[in-house]
Amino acid sequence: MYFKRNKQNKNQQNVQNHTTEEKISSSLTANLDWIKKKTGESSDLVIRPIKAGVNFDLNATIVFIEGIVEGASINDFLIKSILSYQNWKEVIATEQIFDIISEQVISLGSTKKICEWNDLFLSLMAGESIILVDGVVGALSASTTGGEKRSVSEPTAENVVRGPQQAFTESIRTNTGLVRRIIKNPDLWLESLKIGKMTNTDVAIMFIKGTANEKVVEEVRSRLQRIDIDSILESGYIEQLVEDQTLTTFPTLYHTQRPDAVAGNLLEGRIAIFVDGTPYVLLAPAVFIQFFQSTEDYYTRFDIATSIRLLRVIIFIISILGPAIYIAATTFHQEMIPTQLLVIIAAQRESVPFPTLIEAFIMEVVFEILREAGIRLPKVVGSTVSIVGALVIGQAAVQAGIVSPVMVIVVAITAMANFATPAFSIAISARLIRFLFMFVAAVFGFYGIVLGIIMLIVHLCSLRSFGTPYMTPLAPFIPANIGDSIVRQPLWAINKRPKLISKENETREGHGLKPQPDDERGMKNSTLKKGDQNEV
Amino acid sequence: MEKAKISITQLFVLILLFEQGDSMLLPLAMEVKQDSWISILLSTIGGVLLFLVYYRLYRYFPNVLPTDYFQKIVGKVLGKGLAFLYILYFVYFSARLLRSFGEILGIFVYPFTPLIFINIFMVIVVVYTVRKGIEVLSRTAELLFIVLLFLSVTGLILVSSSGLINIHNLTPVLENGISPILKNVFTETLYIPFGELIVFTMIFPYLNSSKKVKSIGVVSVILSGMNLAFGAALNIGVLGTHLASRYQFPLLTTMQSIQILQFLERLDVYFLIALIIGCFFKIALFFYAAVIGISDLFKIREPSQVSYPLGFVVLFLSIQMASSYSEQLQEELKILPLAIQLPFQVIIPILLLIIAFFKNKKNH
Amino acid sequence: MKCKTFFLSLMISSILFITGCWSQKELNDLAIVSAFAIDKNESEKNKGRYEVTLQVINPGNVAGSLQGGGGQTPPISTYTSTANTILIASRELSKKVSRKRYYAHTNLVVISEKLAREEGITRVLDAIERSPEFRTTAQIVIAHNAKAADIVKILTPIDKISSNDVIKTIKFTEDIWGEVVKVNLQDVIRALVTPGKEPVITGFRILGSKDKGSKLENIQDTKPSGNIDANGIAIFKEGKLIGWFHNKTSRGVSWILNKIKTTAVAVDWEEEKEAIVYNVIRQKTKVKADMEKGSPVISIHTEVEGDIGEVNTSIKLSDRDTLFKIEKSFEKEIKEEIKQAVKQAKKNQSDIFGFGEKVYRANPTEWKNLEQDWNEVHFPKAKIRVSVEAFVRRTGLTKESYISDLENK
Repeated sequence: MYFKRNKQNKNQQNVQNHTTEEKISSSLTANLDWIKKKTGESSDLVIRPIKAGVNFDLNATIVFIEGIVEGASINDFLIKSILSYQNWKEVIATEQIFDIISEQVISLGSTKKICEWNDLFLSLMAGESIILVDGVVGALSASTTGGEKRSVSEPTAENVVRGPQQAFTESIRTNTGLVRRIIKNPDLWLESLKIGKMTNTDVAIMFIKGTANEKVVEEVRSRLQRIDIDSILESGYIEQLVEDQTLTTFPTLYHTQRPDAVAGNLLEGRIAIFVDGTPYVLLAPAVFIQFFQSTEDYYTRFDIATSIRLLRVIIFIISILGPAIYIAATTFHQEMIPTQLLVIIAAQRESVPFPTLIEAFIMEVVFEILREAGIRLPKVVGSTVSIVGALVIGQAAVQAGIVSPVMVIVVAITAMANFATPAFSIAISARLIRFLFMFVAAVFGFYGIVLGIIMLIVHLCSLRSFGTPYMTPLAPFIPANIGDSIVRQPLWAINKRPKLISKENETREGHGLKPQPDDERGMKNSTLKKGDQNEV
Repeated sequence: MEKAKISITQLFVLILLFEQGDSMLLPLAMEVKQDSWISILLSTIGGVLLFLVYYRLYRYFPNVLPTDYFQKIVGKVLGKGLAFLYILYFVYFSARLLRSFGEILGIFVYPFTPLIFINIFMVIVVVYTVRKGIEVLSRTAELLFIVLLFLSVTGLILVSSSGLINIHNLTPVLENGISPILKNVFTETLYIPFGELIVFTMIFPYLNSSKKVKSIGVVSVILSGMNLAFGAALNIGVLGTHLASRYQFPLLTTMQSIQILQFLERLDVYFLIALIIGCFFKIALFFYAAVIGISDLFKIREPSQVSYPLGFVVLFLSIQMASSYSEQLQEELKILPLAIQLPFQVIIPILLLIIAFFKNKKNH
Repeated sequence: MKCKTFFLSLMISSILFITGCWSQKELNDLAIVSAFAIDKNESEKNKGRYEVTLQVINPGNVAGSLQGGGGQTPPISTYTSTANTILIASRELSKKVSRKRYYAHTNLVVISEKLAREEGITRVLDAIERSPEFRTTAQIVIAHNAKAADIVKILTPIDKISSNDVIKTIKFTEDIWGEVVKVNLQDVIRALVTPGKEPVITGFRILGSKDKGSKLENIQDTKPSGNIDANGIAIFKEGKLIGWFHNKTSRGVSWILNKIKTTAVAVDWEEEKEAIVYNVIRQKTKVKADMEKGSPVISIHTEVEGDIGEVNTSIKLSDRDTLFKIEKSFEKEIKEEIKQAVKQAKKNQSDIFGFGEKVYRANPTEWKNLEQDWNEVHFPKAKIRVSVEAFVRRTGLTKESYISDLENK
């Protein structure tokens, strides 16, 4: 799974071009020979001769690759239909045969006429069946795509308490279908591409016409078309080839496994990029605040949603600055710590041989090892590791005097905070930045931490995601959109779409949606009618 | 000139942060003891007038940097010379601020670290920021403004709830009459926080709309003046005139006096954070003005190339400037205002405005 | 381009390994000083020099009690050294202590009475104020009839760190009794510098044996053999200690300085001595300065609110008029205390209340004439008007005392 250099790719392409220029010939045997040669007579290639026409004088062949086709539809709808067709007229083998076959004979969903070898192989490898007729130039491809697929299940990485429990699967059609089921609107447009020289992966762009920014759509399209690579194995490849800036730990594209998240973002004017073979869908453009939001925020009520969002900001800050503040406070600014606490920490540190930075570093690395182990382990051994981890790190290290208990607490809280960040991509960034801050704190104390934060903010403010500044709506400050960023105003109050993302269609709600109780209830003087009382 | 645009909100925030930066460093207007807040309020009025002068100059030549329109007003040779002098002025002040900042950190947080290392770190961050351009600087200002606001409000709540403020320390008001205050205004307080608004003449051309600049600008100048006056009054209220005038950094001592609930003590970290943020902005703005001025005057295409060498210059200048902190303060409060700040901040802009006014009349 | 990034990262990573940076202090390299005591050395060799004693915390033994164990060695240790100035004495102590002295948590400064009387406190405070590490919110205490060093050597049973004992004692005494004043360094310097005001500092003395008091056995006994208690207020003039106020006089000072929070005042009632006790809940004292015919007139007005705390005689408390009469006797009693305090201060010719400062604030021009001889001439002559308003609100859970029933029996 390595990237191949683009130069090599070009050479290969030149060789291929030589043959793909040619159209499919009319000789059946020549065609079949070429197919067999190109696929190296792969054992899952099935060549099924068939006879059609009046008096069965037409030689036809159905070619398909076993395993990626739906056997039942080939049997029932393709072969059976051709074989049982009664109304063959006196037809000489011409181009019209394909029209007749596709329009009158076979009962499959979609068919396509093919003239070039390139298209033929693309269809064949995609799981479609090719029908060749002796004496006719060209071929017909029928969609019989099938094969084993994972069924729609719960999301593995983005769990919510309240909300739909569906997640995307690896099949692009299923995924687009899941989104279509949520947004039943003809303005939801879908554009398909095939990217990757060797893999020919299906990639699709989805957006809502009239809401998404046309310029951004154009930008996405052009960047995707610009990709010249061997293989696209996952949406991560697309993300890395299309993003604005690579020299940053912060992601500029959002990815998710949940259809409702995609639908929500599409409605805000974003563009979704589906990649076949992975359940992770990309969303562009992405802003920093997005990574602190989860779909659950919209399904719960505004007070709890606001509190949780604010909590997430605090969590993020802790996960970046936790150990750094501890190091800075205990090595440079001991006066900050209340005397009692300082005495306790000093007592604990008496027995530790390392300076604070090294101690923190060791603990952090051990924790990262534990985390990686947790991901790689098969489920069976999982519980053993957690026990070992707790014992090793918690008890033994402290009692052996290698680390102090306070350090363990700090590292544990930081790790918890890291896990609690809703978007995985931001959590990874936080992990890396945390180490940087630890070093800075050890060298310069609080001054270093503050300057580091300033540099971090400057860096964040300089990022753009497909033209949108990364820190919208905080900076530049757009008051109308603050209602949905760090806090979450009640649903009836968020009436505008994010301004810099959706320039065209700004209003998303009507006015006056605030739920009001019935006017007659409550402390009202019911003998007076409206207009009688002393209104101002 | 950069192809960047900043919004009115960003200008507002920049002015506020800029003014805030210095206030923690200098004991302003200590000559008039408990009337220092009156002195600051009066100089706010002067500050507003100066701001209006700079604004009017901008209105005569929107979308063009001062280094450019100086030449248009007084001719090529004199204009270029004047622009160059102003660039030197910005570089000098950037270095001066860096020095003050390094000194204060060296006094109460890092007494053993050599000054050059404290300054180097700040210079690295400033150069990194300025290289990214004014847009990034303004956006950062918006974010950090929220942080600073939060700090100030909570700081104020802490100080007032620990019962330290004694209003009587502010009496007797106007003990020696109004004349010492006026003298103080015109020799000190007008220039140090407010005259430095001249930097913003280099920033005005980037505004995306000139509609509300006047009102928002004036409002922000007044607000920052009130903020400074309030800070001065707070210091005297908590410490009393005799202590406040002897301490190098009265606000720091005020923060250090907070003792609540037996665990919220020794809160100088608060002060440290606010100090770093404020000073960073001021230094960055001066530095940016110098960089963009040089690139405009000498027709350099990539201003970011200028920032590295200029960073070195500022760093070494800051070390060379004074041999002790007392010398630095003496220069800053006694010599500089009348010798340099008065001409650069007040006299020359007013003269330029007058000339531009007549030239404009002539053209119509 | 690649070379540039490589070298840059090399430079940065080499900075990271110099983590022993200049201003960095590892926690276990620090000796956390909790109290700072200044004496004058009496021995022949070092007569007249300053003797500085530090009270250093042993973290392991303080925290030990929370994790079990510990208690074999004392939670604090003391170290002494002598030199001509405070700063040099403090640095010379490094010869005796195996750590760097860290003053940021020093909450207590003890100055011996002898030093305060003979030389005054003005010379010793500058190093403390100038140092960025030392807090100006540290509290100051005078060692009464004892050496300051002995005060910091005493081990106390409840607080592991005995400087905490002193600080908390002062705080709670000021809160519930009132004969002491809580002053920190900033207050003292402010009072020294402000014309028309003089400092007052609380005194502490040693009860019992000071030698036994510094041993661990001291706190292993239910009644410690050596103990410290707050005793009196020291008054200063021009930086030198000139006298002590005790008991009611010192409480009078607290009244005037508006430092009383709660206290108890006992009054006589109909031949019974100290029969009724008034629980003061809150009070507010206002001092105003006016000029009448060129001489200053100070008005002190106190408003007190409280309950009846103890009654040792038969008296009808449920009768409103009786309560009014009781209020009158409280007022008289408090007025006496205040007057007594003022009289004593006048006798000592030291304006510890800050009346002069009040005159300055109200009439700055007049003050210029009075400033010079305020303490000696004008302050003793100044007319003081005292008015007290006391209110009795409640009488506790019972109405009349059971003593009334006893008498009827």
